[in-house]
Amino acid sequence: MIKKGLFKQSLPVIIVMGVLLVFSILGYRFMGEESFVRTALSGLTLGALYFMVAAGLTIIFGLMDVLNFAHGAMFMVGAYMGWQFYTNPTFLFGLLPLVLAFAVGLSSTSIWMPIVINWNLSESWKKRINAALIVSSLILVVLGFVKLDVLGLAETAMVAAMNAGNPLAEATAQEPLSVFWFRPLLLFVSGLLLAISSARPGDKTQVVSSSKKWVPWLRLAIMALLALFATLFREAAPILVLQMDANLRFVLALIVGAGVGAGLGMIVEVSLIRPLYSRPFYIVLLTLGIGYVLRETVQLLWDPVAYAMERPPLFSQPGKAENIIAWFSGNNLTIDILGVTFPSYRLFIIALGVFMLIALFVIMRFSRLGMIIRAGVQDREMVEALGINVKRVFSIVFGIGVGLAALGGIGAAPFVPVQPNMGDAYQMQGFITVVIGGMGSYGGAAIGALLLGMARAFGDFLALKFTLSPAIAEASTVVVMIIVLLVKPSGIFGKKE
Amino acid sequence: MEPILKLESIHTFIGQFHILEGVSIEVPRDSITVLLGRNGAGKTTTLKSILGLTPPREGKVIFDGLEVQGKRAYDVANFGIGYVPEHRAVFRNLSVMENLRIAEKKRGDFERKADFIFGLFPDLKRLYKLPGNHLSGGQQQMLAVARALVAENKLLLIDEPSEGLAPILIEQMMAAIKELSKTTTILLVEQNFIMASQLAETFYIIDDGKTVENGKMADLVKNDDLIKRYLGVNIGKVGGAE
Repeated sequence: MIKKGLFKQSLPVIIVMGVLLVFSILGYRFMGEESFVRTALSGLTLGALYFMVAAGLTIIFGLMDVLNFAHGAMFMVGAYMGWQFYTNPTFLFGLLPLVLAFAVGLSSTSIWMPIVINWNLSESWKKRINAALIVSSLILVVLGFVKLDVLGLAETAMVAAMNAGNPLAEATAQEPLSVFWFRPLLLFVSGLLLAISSARPGDKTQVVSSSKKWVPWLRLAIMALLALFATLFREAAPILVLQMDANLRFVLALIVGAGVGAGLGMIVEVSLIRPLYSRPFYIVLLTLGIGYVLRETVQLLWDPVAYAMERPPLFSQPGKAENIIAWFSGNNLTIDILGVTFPSYRLFIIALGVFMLIALFVIMRFSRLGMIIRAGVQDREMVEALGINVKRVFSIVFGIGVGLAALGGIGAAPFVPVQPNMGDAYQMQGFITVVIGGMGSYGGAAIGALLLGMARAFGDFLALKFTLSPAIAEASTVVVMIIVLLVKPSGIFGKKE
Repeated sequence: MEPILKLESIHTFIGQFHILEGVSIEVPRDSITVLLGRNGAGKTTTLKSILGLTPPREGKVIFDGLEVQGKRAYDVANFGIGYVPEHRAVFRNLSVMENLRIAEKKRGDFERKADFIFGLFPDLKRLYKLPGNHLSGGQQQMLAVARALVAENKLLLIDEPSEGLAPILIEQMMAAIKELSKTTTILLVEQNFIMASQLAETFYIIDDGKTVENGKMADLVKNDDLIKRYLGVNIGKVGGAE
């Protein structure tokens, strides 16, 4: 009985692999070895990118039933962050003190809680005070960022974009110190107001955590120290980063891009999506809106043109490596694979995709978090009844999902133009991947991404061969989706409802 | 001694529907209390209201001297309440081991309790590595109960443990619950009156979302009229003389 179950589970994979194999043999026979290998490798590269977008989409949907239409924009934000960190981190380090100042204010929530929940407030006053706190906090943020220095900020970002490898601290260093310190102060106060609001004044029903009194103060002190360091080293840090080994810098850029993405995802989940879980349709509109806001913000800070990120030296030494082992010593731009000259960076993308698949598998299979996620996909209420804070798990999962997309973004940046709408096409393919693989299944996302990547690459090849418009090739992924859905309407790994 | 759980006239709404219209219960420590009533009377909603899964709009829930109404469900659960939902809600795509491990409230809970749990349900030890959806109905029900035992809980809420089980499994389940009641307090919802009457010391009857009767189980068994009016079962069954 058990063996039969296992066979039934892996049957879709076997069928998909079989179909791919048949097409491969046909392709190999009729395309000739050279163009077949080239096309298949491009397909793998595309598949890896689709997987990075689709993996986040599918775990977010699986646990929370949220379709994140801002996923492509978050992919794009990851690319911008990583690209800026790699070429010229001046802007990022200029922004960091402001963000940290806000976070310091916000981290005071648990200090306020024991005080404000005992205020005697009527229902209407609770609402009024909450609204007043949130609105004034927002006004201060806008003041801190915009009124005082939007042009300076945008200028720093743009100047940083144009002067790769040359940190320009003058833009901020020249303003009077009083103005300079005033901005983080505004953001700190703004965070403070939001903290009071999220401590929910007058709401006596909440549990004040019984941990020791000094713990929140310690947290606050650590955050404040971090913010202070970020402020003091905002000019030295970019120089330091630019002086380090470029390959190491690239690895750090990957981490920064993914980290900013994860942070962004968590903030968006906690502040905007959480109040709307009971209204799924609103969430769709909300995430669409977030996508527009992110794209426009990026256009405001950087010119709306396409930037090219240079490849790290590890993948850009001139010449061609005879094989992968030769590449390890030569770090060449291209590698000879089965007689095909292929860019080494694209192989890195494939490796990154495979690494993410394995990492995701290990987390989902063997960690407690993965266990909770798998359980929560089936029965959220029961997970909560076991004493697990499901809402916190939601935020973490949203953070991981968006972090994966952002990592994909910075990974793609060296061979895709960095521009505000760079993520849109990948979001579209990501959604198709998720539908093909079965909503909520990351294994399905991997298979779906492989299928779609291949379909797209071979579609491109056919369009070129028969001199058709490239637009036809874009339809190839949709054709695959239609075929899969006709055979299995719930997707390859989808569960019957 | 002060009761471990006290509900003071709670009112719960699900959407527009007024499901509980004043449920008051006191669960004495170290014994089994059973909630009786027809289908749809509000027994399951009462359990969910205690945990805060369907938060009551009015009334008080006092657990171990602490007012818990309006608090988040995971907080209430962490105060020391274990929940066994109806319909054998085990996590189907988690293995038996994972189903037990996920219930840990403190690191090492499972290791501490493993011997006790496998002593009660020896079958589970054999099925340790199988996914939940490969278990039979009875095994799933055992697992659901076992899951509530992993953490150190002061009160267990058990919803219809005998539902859909074969008679031999019902006996096994009864023995397990009896064994459990030596160390924890249990609030049981049970349609099977024979099982309920043999296990519980105290009973409450819920009808149309209100608690209508309560007392000692020993007295209820004798009260033919009450049983017929609220439970719709024939008293003749109680003694096993069908």
